[in-house]
Amino acid sequence: MLCAAQETVTGSFASFIHAVQPEHLSEVVLHRSKRMILDSIGVGLVGSTTHVFDIALRYCQLYASNAVSSVYGKKGLKLSPTLAAFVNGVAAHSMDFDDTWHPATHPSGAVLPALLAVAQMLPPSAKPNGLDFLLAFNVGIEVQGRLMHFSTEAHNIPKRFHPPSVVGTLGSAAAVAKLLSLTRTQCANALAITASLAGAPMANAATQAKPLHVGNATRLGFEAALLAAQGMEASPLILDDLPGCSGFSAFYDNYQPKPLPLPANSHQFLLEKQDIAFKRFPAHLGMHWIVDAALSVRNLLINYAGSFSPALIRTILLRIPVSKYINRPFPESEHQARHSFQFNACTALLDGKMGVHSFTDASIHRQELKELLAKVLVEHPEDNIANFDKMYGEIALILENGDVLTGRCDTFYGHWRKPLSRDSLLKKFRSNASHVFPEDKVEAIITIVDNMENLPDSSYLASSL
Amino acid sequence: FPPVTENFAGVIHGLNASHLTDLVIQRSKRMILDTLGVGLLGTSTEVFHKVIQYSKTYSSDASSTVWGHLDFRLPPLYAAFVNGVAVHSMDFDDTWHPATHPSGAVLPALIALSEALTQKQKFSGPDLLLAFNVGIEVQGRLMRFSSEASNIPKRFHPPAIVGTMGSAAAVAKLLALDPFKCKEALAVAASYAGAPMANVATPTKPLHIGNAAKHGLEAACLASLGLQGNKQILDMESGLGAFYTDYAPQVLPTLKSYSWLLDQQDVAIKRFPAHLGTHWVADAASSVRKHLVKGDNSLPINGIEKIVAKVPDVGYMNRPFPNSEHEARHSFQFAVCTALLDGSISVQSFSDQNISRPQLRELLKKTQLEHPPDNKPSFEILYCEVNVTLQDGNVFSERCDTFYGHWRKPLSAEDLKKKFHSNASQVLSAEAAEGIMETVDNLEKVEDCSVLNAFLKGTQSAKVLEKICSF
Repeated sequence: MLCAAQETVTGSFASFIHAVQPEHLSEVVLHRSKRMILDSIGVGLVGSTTHVFDIALRYCQLYASNAVSSVYGKKGLKLSPTLAAFVNGVAAHSMDFDDTWHPATHPSGAVLPALLAVAQMLPPSAKPNGLDFLLAFNVGIEVQGRLMHFSTEAHNIPKRFHPPSVVGTLGSAAAVAKLLSLTRTQCANALAITASLAGAPMANAATQAKPLHVGNATRLGFEAALLAAQGMEASPLILDDLPGCSGFSAFYDNYQPKPLPLPANSHQFLLEKQDIAFKRFPAHLGMHWIVDAALSVRNLLINYAGSFSPALIRTILLRIPVSKYINRPFPESEHQARHSFQFNACTALLDGKMGVHSFTDASIHRQELKELLAKVLVEHPEDNIANFDKMYGEIALILENGDVLTGRCDTFYGHWRKPLSRDSLLKKFRSNASHVFPEDKVEAIITIVDNMENLPDSSYLASSL
Repeated sequence: FPPVTENFAGVIHGLNASHLTDLVIQRSKRMILDTLGVGLLGTSTEVFHKVIQYSKTYSSDASSTVWGHLDFRLPPLYAAFVNGVAVHSMDFDDTWHPATHPSGAVLPALIALSEALTQKQKFSGPDLLLAFNVGIEVQGRLMRFSSEASNIPKRFHPPAIVGTMGSAAAVAKLLALDPFKCKEALAVAASYAGAPMANVATPTKPLHIGNAAKHGLEAACLASLGLQGNKQILDMESGLGAFYTDYAPQVLPTLKSYSWLLDQQDVAIKRFPAHLGTHWVADAASSVRKHLVKGDNSLPINGIEKIVAKVPDVGYMNRPFPNSEHEARHSFQFAVCTALLDGSISVQSFSDQNISRPQLRELLKKTQLEHPPDNKPSFEILYCEVNVTLQDGNVFSERCDTFYGHWRKPLSAEDLKKKFHSNASQVLSAEAAEGIMETVDNLEKVEDCSVLNAFLKGTQSAKVLEKICSF
């Protein structure tokens, strides 16, 4: 029998997924993961009102069979489990409003929808309780985090493959494998089968197709776990380094896999050491720095001139990290706008706040906004690294009279270094969920998630969505 | 020049039946026939049974045929999936240059979709042929965007990349999407593309083709519902370029005189179900065997001291002692020894019994691989030389540069049909197999290609046969 040190990396992941138990979850991890679950649900609920969600839903309704799993915000409508996971995953990422981790990915949307669908899929005699659910959720998050540590490339804002489509898919497979209590071998196969379903290029970020990356991550990982449960096999070395014949390493330029320590005594989940960022408005995480910088310099201008007067501004200088897909001087769609430093800076300057409404067509095409956008110049200081742990946002307003007002943000409110308070998190959830549900339902969901570890049947959460 | 993506969309949209040359029609019909046969045979495999079990959860929407099955049907997405898995389940399907398995990623999607839509719209044989060729052509063109693609792959399994794109293009063509939506179909498909090489030689490999067909179909359907992706998906390094280390996209030839790749470059059709590289090995080994064995005698195993196979350096084909059928299909050593032992390799060579035969194991122990520097891992130029050294010191050596079935030495029409017949008759009646051969042979004159489905699921009624034979 192999001891842990000799085990392959792939084998160690399989062993971890198989052997980890609820008692391994610390208080901090429980607390943080429940915040993530709540945020992810809220974001998914508001996301169920988007056009991309509508397309995905119309597509999936072509497949009417085995309709047992709930769809966010659509009471009475059910889909087959993997397709429910798909549309709910699309919803979660549809507005780029979902959580972000370090190294960079959107972990919860790739895991939660599949688990909710599984909980409803399982027969009454085998319904997982809230703690089982929380454990599976954390397995899915943990696996994603561990995989991202296999490559230094993963630490920075991505260039080639969109991380949720790479690690998110495997995270979903791991989470579903856990909730279904697959054997260790089946867990290994689930991971390996999933690798053949992972990977979407960055070019589709900032387009309407981006939400599908999360939808497919949660759905395809789920499918892979189901196939593994049927006995499908794949490479037993998928996570290991195989020169000349790539496994998971295919997605990275440099790749140093490390085995997961066995849960035995004191496995520390990554979530314990590294919290998540929650977004305050629906746009790429990088935008949050520049917005906070813009809001502060806006205040300076108001103090200086008595009101916000765009006419006083000659140039708006943005000091931002280099990242092509979020550098867009004149975005034309909501998807592009969510991925534009320039747009977010100017909207924040103009309105003094950011919200869901900032990205409507009407808002995007405002004349005053276009005038401001025309004044923007961009600089990439060498010390501003494209990395969510290290970057900053700085704006300099160069006024017509030559004066310069500067605002800078090193850590926006909602970042893991400055987490949202419970009040702020609930405010965001209530605002999102109330797009589709009345107040009493909204409060009911909050209560269920708050008491997740005591829930006897976790499918109750799914059916209340 | 317009961006490459837009150009592709314009060409996919603008190609019509009149662009198909006779040679392209002929070659593509051979591919279609071979693919169907191989798929039918593949419905008897274990991997196929597993994906069926999985897909049955979707079976109440019963609009498309599962090849070889009368007993239940699946929605087009999952029919494309399982039939695609069947096609690649035994590594028996066609191979092109640059390397990919083009047909399995395209045909199952087209057949499933055309059948599902049959209430609303009839698709003719020429419609199917055109869409099929669009799917093949796009794959070939995309592979030429990277020099990495000319060699046997190391990182991503090509069908998972270009196959997915080809399937999306083919379906977009069949659905007659406008150029805008053709473009979006390609863009969305890219987000489904890609699977790592490590799963080759495992049961998951066939899923690469099944998923290519399924996801390309899904991407095209989403595009037709209005989903949009990156309009420069083929142009950008962070688009399709993400899958390659060197990437140089180019526009397609003008529609005024379109030249198809299939015209210039045929596919290879396999004679037995294993990785293409084993076909050179089998031919060389069978030739050497003739020196060692007279008449019906069996191979004098004990008289053999050493077997050396000179092959290109392909890591995933170097398996001295394969333990499963999937590994055996990806083992140079297994191919050498089986061909030496039996004189040829066949479907039966990969049964559990044959894989674990003591005489085979004996031979495997004596076998080594060598990688001459001039033996490059490219299906266009590789060769195999087999040297057998006897205990008495004699050495016999034979070399194969081009095996029978390779594009330089294509299977005769008769042998292609023989392969089809042998495969199809494992699951279908002789009449149904005959019906498919007739239909495909006359595909450009068939008015309603859904007749194929009647044969594929195993019904054969006199009425259907009459319909076919009335050309």
